[in-house]
Amino acid sequence: MLTLPHRPVRIALSITLALAIAGLIIAVLWAILAAATDTATPSRVDIPHLLRMTSIQAGLTTIFSLAVGMALAWSLNRLRFPGRDLVVGLFSAAIVTPGMVVAFGLLSIWGRNGWINEASKAIFGFPLGNPAFGLSGILLAHVILDGAFAARILLARLDAIPASRLKVGQSLALSTSQRFRLIDWPAMRTSLPGLGAIIFLLAFTSFPIVLLLGGGPANQTLEVAIYSAVRLDFDLVGAVRLALTQIGVCAIVILLASASTNVIAPPHGGSTTPLWRDGAFARALQWLVLALSTIGFVLPLLSVLIDGVTGGFGRVLVQPTFWWAFGTSMIIGSASAALTLVLALALCLGRSASSGKALRTLLGTPSFAYLAVPAVVLSLGFFLLIRNLGLAPERAAPFVVIVANSLLALPFAVATLGPPLDAIAHARGKLIRSLGLSGWQQFWSVEYPLLGKDIGLMLALAFCFSLGDLGVIALFGTQDFQTLPLMMFRALGAYRGNDAAAIAAILLIGTILAFVGLPRLFERIAHARG
Amino acid sequence: MLEAEHLVFAHPGQSTSYDFSFTAEPGEVTAISGPSGSGKSTLFDLVAGFLKPESGTLALDGQNLIHMLPETRPVSLLLQADNLFDHLSAEDNVALGLSRGTHKAEARRRIADVLRQMGLSALAHQRAATLSGGQKQRVALARTLLRDRPVLLLDEPFSALDDDTRRSIRTLVRDLTVRQCWHTILVSHHADDIAALASRRYQLKDGVLASA
Repeated sequence: MLTLPHRPVRIALSITLALAIAGLIIAVLWAILAAATDTATPSRVDIPHLLRMTSIQAGLTTIFSLAVGMALAWSLNRLRFPGRDLVVGLFSAAIVTPGMVVAFGLLSIWGRNGWINEASKAIFGFPLGNPAFGLSGILLAHVILDGAFAARILLARLDAIPASRLKVGQSLALSTSQRFRLIDWPAMRTSLPGLGAIIFLLAFTSFPIVLLLGGGPANQTLEVAIYSAVRLDFDLVGAVRLALTQIGVCAIVILLASASTNVIAPPHGGSTTPLWRDGAFARALQWLVLALSTIGFVLPLLSVLIDGVTGGFGRVLVQPTFWWAFGTSMIIGSASAALTLVLALALCLGRSASSGKALRTLLGTPSFAYLAVPAVVLSLGFFLLIRNLGLAPERAAPFVVIVANSLLALPFAVATLGPPLDAIAHARGKLIRSLGLSGWQQFWSVEYPLLGKDIGLMLALAFCFSLGDLGVIALFGTQDFQTLPLMMFRALGAYRGNDAAAIAAILLIGTILAFVGLPRLFERIAHARG
Repeated sequence: MLEAEHLVFAHPGQSTSYDFSFTAEPGEVTAISGPSGSGKSTLFDLVAGFLKPESGTLALDGQNLIHMLPETRPVSLLLQADNLFDHLSAEDNVALGLSRGTHKAEARRRIADVLRQMGLSALAHQRAATLSGGQKQRVALARTLLRDRPVLLLDEPFSALDDDTRRSIRTLVRDLTVRQCWHTILVSHHADDIAALASRRYQLKDGVLASA
């Protein structure tokens, strides 16, 4: 069928960009591989131990996050109450909440001098312990973030169950367990392998949470070990070997995940569920799951805000270094979000104009570079590449951080913009062609007004990822070039907890404002234009 | 005159093969009817250019259209629904019918003119999503009028309308066809629409058109 508008310029631009991104990634990998051949220098890294620890941590995170995500999605799908949309929106924000902020919040709640232990000392006269450090702390932080992410994806699947299927089930008087087994489970099951793979990768490549809560070498992961090897031990060969191990494992997981369905983009379809309530016991269980999950997710974030505002807010705000770091974070965040938008739009517009499966795959592949080459590894590659080119790392740092952050946000940006652009091309392709609209007319009159909210969401995702990034800046940051997360990390290392609390609160506020505000702002701008 | 001669087409993986021949005169409505699955949509897509025939010719006043892309064919479409972009105003939807490079003042004048002709001036700034089914079809016809392509393809354009609106839109189509000398082709299985509009009729059966 010739129903897709004929857009050779879009496709050519998209192919050029995809090849350029692929070329950049290959150059980065080549720099890493070239450094790995330097076998004369001895290395002390214990790869089997690190691989074992990282896999155990990521595996347990995946299992717990999927379990929590399914329970929470099931509860949210059934319950109707005032403020439900706010709660769902809150869990949606998990994907952009900086890991550092959650880790800091956990320390504030469960740490040695945290809320729980202080309360225990006051009531029982002794502390309850310190589960925020070590493997338990890492798992807790990961499950808070990834469980909420899983819940949001799975809730979209449950909400998309056709009303007719629910009507049939209701008329057959299915029990709660029958309903779950026959209707809910089949809807969620297809997403679980892909979702599990993504959560495994997110946990496998997690950096700030392990750095803050790891509590020593016993719980160190590959990503943190790479950072330690470069910045603390100056063991470049060790870092390169770790990076290759990391890339190898990630590539295997991606290959396995690629066989399953796409889970990042939520399916279309609203919450059209007819009113079909479960029994009293099931409803009590759903309320319990919802209450525990909300408290588990909100409490650490609330503690960050309270500690920040009551702690070092005033002290931090008068420091020139804070405003310097704040400005740097804003500029880096805005620039990488803008770059991500340009890259994602160019790739998605070309992809939506292509009908061939091979071409669509080619245009989709480079955007997933991040999943194969995680933040610290990508930074290491850029670091080596810049050194090989004879450039000064401190001069190239701002550009590298912007480009690296854009590449890291690209898979999520493509997953946000790609499906609606594909849908427009397929649903309206005949009309657009028959009217003979130019590519610019198609974008300006049809695509842009309809994409307003998606563009805002994509910009918010990219901005928030960049705002909370520690993996890239950790390798390139200097005293003169630091962002808020790096400043917070340094404040923690210098035992300036109040300063760290204030910065964490500012990061959280910035993230919430961007995530809530940008989609609305762009929807309004696009509609005003349309 | 629009003339199709042995437009042969088969969908990949399907055994049915189509062989279409018909003629349509300017200023007349030519109706093509047939049961569901008989190939009406295939014929529609072949004339609009969304499908390429394996062989045959489709010519307008002697000019072969077969190798022309859908966007360059002298054809306008009016479908049962989704003719408009819901997020745009009636005026902006109509404006899409203007040829590129039309001067702004000229564009404004022509848009206002067709909207007035179609009785839509009061709705010019209203979003398409808020218009009724009949108003939407009127806006789509206003755009068609602005484009003024010699062939108008109608695919069940009255199906979603109530009886009164249906009658008024049918009258509008017939009047415009005569006034603009369009070669209007109506693809439909509604006998009353065909009876009210068509000067020439074809029946689709077993993948072949026959005069009715």
